[in-house]
Amino acid sequence: MTKIEEVAQAVQNGKAKIVGGIVQEALDAGCDATEILNDGMIAAMAVVGEKFKNGEIFVPEMLVAARAMKKGVEVLKPHLASGAAGANGKLILGTVAGDLHDIGKNLVGMMIESAGFEVIDLGVDVPIEKFIECYKENPDTKIVALSALLTTTMPSLRDTVKALNESDFRDKIKIMVGGAPITQEFADEIGADGYSPDAASAAELAKKLAGC
Amino acid sequence: MIIIGEKLNGSIPAVAQAIADKDAEFIKARAKAQADAGATFIDVCASVEENVEVETMKWMIDLVQEVCDTPICVDSPSARNCVAALPFCKKPGLLNSVSLEGDKIDVVFPVVANTDWQIVALLCDDKGIPKTVERRMEVFHGIMAKAKEFGIDPSRLHIDPLVETRSTEPEAFLTFAACARQIKAEYPAIHVTSGLSNISFSLPVRKLVNQSFMFLSILAGMDSAIVDPTNKGMTAVIKAAEELKAGYKDGDDQVALVAKGCEMAGISERDALGMKYAAEMLLDPEEDEFCLEYIGIYREGLIGPVKQ
Repeated sequence: MTKIEEVAQAVQNGKAKIVGGIVQEALDAGCDATEILNDGMIAAMAVVGEKFKNGEIFVPEMLVAARAMKKGVEVLKPHLASGAAGANGKLILGTVAGDLHDIGKNLVGMMIESAGFEVIDLGVDVPIEKFIECYKENPDTKIVALSALLTTTMPSLRDTVKALNESDFRDKIKIMVGGAPITQEFADEIGADGYSPDAASAAELAKKLAGC
Repeated sequence: MIIIGEKLNGSIPAVAQAIADKDAEFIKARAKAQADAGATFIDVCASVEENVEVETMKWMIDLVQEVCDTPICVDSPSARNCVAALPFCKKPGLLNSVSLEGDKIDVVFPVVANTDWQIVALLCDDKGIPKTVERRMEVFHGIMAKAKEFGIDPSRLHIDPLVETRSTEPEAFLTFAACARQIKAEYPAIHVTSGLSNISFSLPVRKLVNQSFMFLSILAGMDSAIVDPTNKGMTAVIKAAEELKAGYKDGDDQVALVAKGCEMAGISERDALGMKYAAEMLLDPEEDEFCLEYIGIYREGLIGPVKQ
């Protein structure tokens, strides 16, 4: 097994305590830092996401894998070109106004970050203006990802997407939506660019929308 | 134990389908099965878009009342829609729910003040679900101040301290149980309730986690639950927990009591092992933050459906 495969395995198995050491060994053996990140860690998280989507693993196992990746990235960071850890681009994330749910949204953020994005998480109950303000402060943002967990906050999701669709930066961003009551049909109806049913699919969708 | 039958909820795909198809027989059959199984209330939650919610609730409530006399639990995230659905009910039931979020309590309490309606109150506010026991108790005291203002007796309130997911919030059970104990100590006549299945989200063999949560929560003072009354394993666990609670004092070995309860409830050895691990996982998050021991014994094939 190559050192990079060892890193991938440690991340997949959630071995937070040893992953840092293996990353260091890989660096010492002359592996390229970006390669360790992409082929070791991000690839491993893609496998974890796939397994989660297929019901082969559970949320806690996904969490320990993400935690292991974080530990690995800490060791790797000084060796990476600045910005390499979020090389796929910036993504603004939040649960829409009136909705206080965050578990699903946090899982989505974690998986998207593990897929190589820089995630700006605005939290829950985020008013429309805050999304717009955040884009203006981060005009290099590629995607805005919105969550709504209640049938009663679906209209709020609709309003948020509408405001983004009417903004002057609409052609610069992609909009993705999700949450328990949301369907592909609803996403199409309100004018979002994409919908995903779970955290792992959200990471794949983000990559697709960002053209990675 | 007050059992609020949970099986008529539009967030269950089969129920959503029945609502979409206007399948009256499906709704009636589910209502009757829950009434026959001894439900104290039958929860009716449409989980459709807000503008068609009241008419959908009326359709469902009418059907439930055709087949049983069990009081209705009117359930909507919109307090206004809850209030709008009260006149459809032949007798007072339970309103699910208010909290300190927005103007919910001000919409509901004046309407139910001088009635026999009971009310579920969640311990959250405009900032979401408070993380600490102290903050949840602050919300509780806010709710009780409002109840006093409107002359609503504590015995009409079902306080839901809120159950978070164990797999993402390791302290989920401990926070719930600490709130339940404090609430019952302050107001012995009040009910403590929960829609508990959230605890086991994304864990294997969820029923074992749910059953252990139920058992331990009853020891902590929970006396009402939103649950499936036709689930024989769960109802047997409830009965055992209520019997064992009588002799329970703080500091007793709760995991040992779960084992004893399983025996009394006629739970299989395999499921009893799973409930023991689940109880340890709920009671001791520091030992196993990510539920890996519980998931581990599942992976070893020691719990869960027997693989052929």
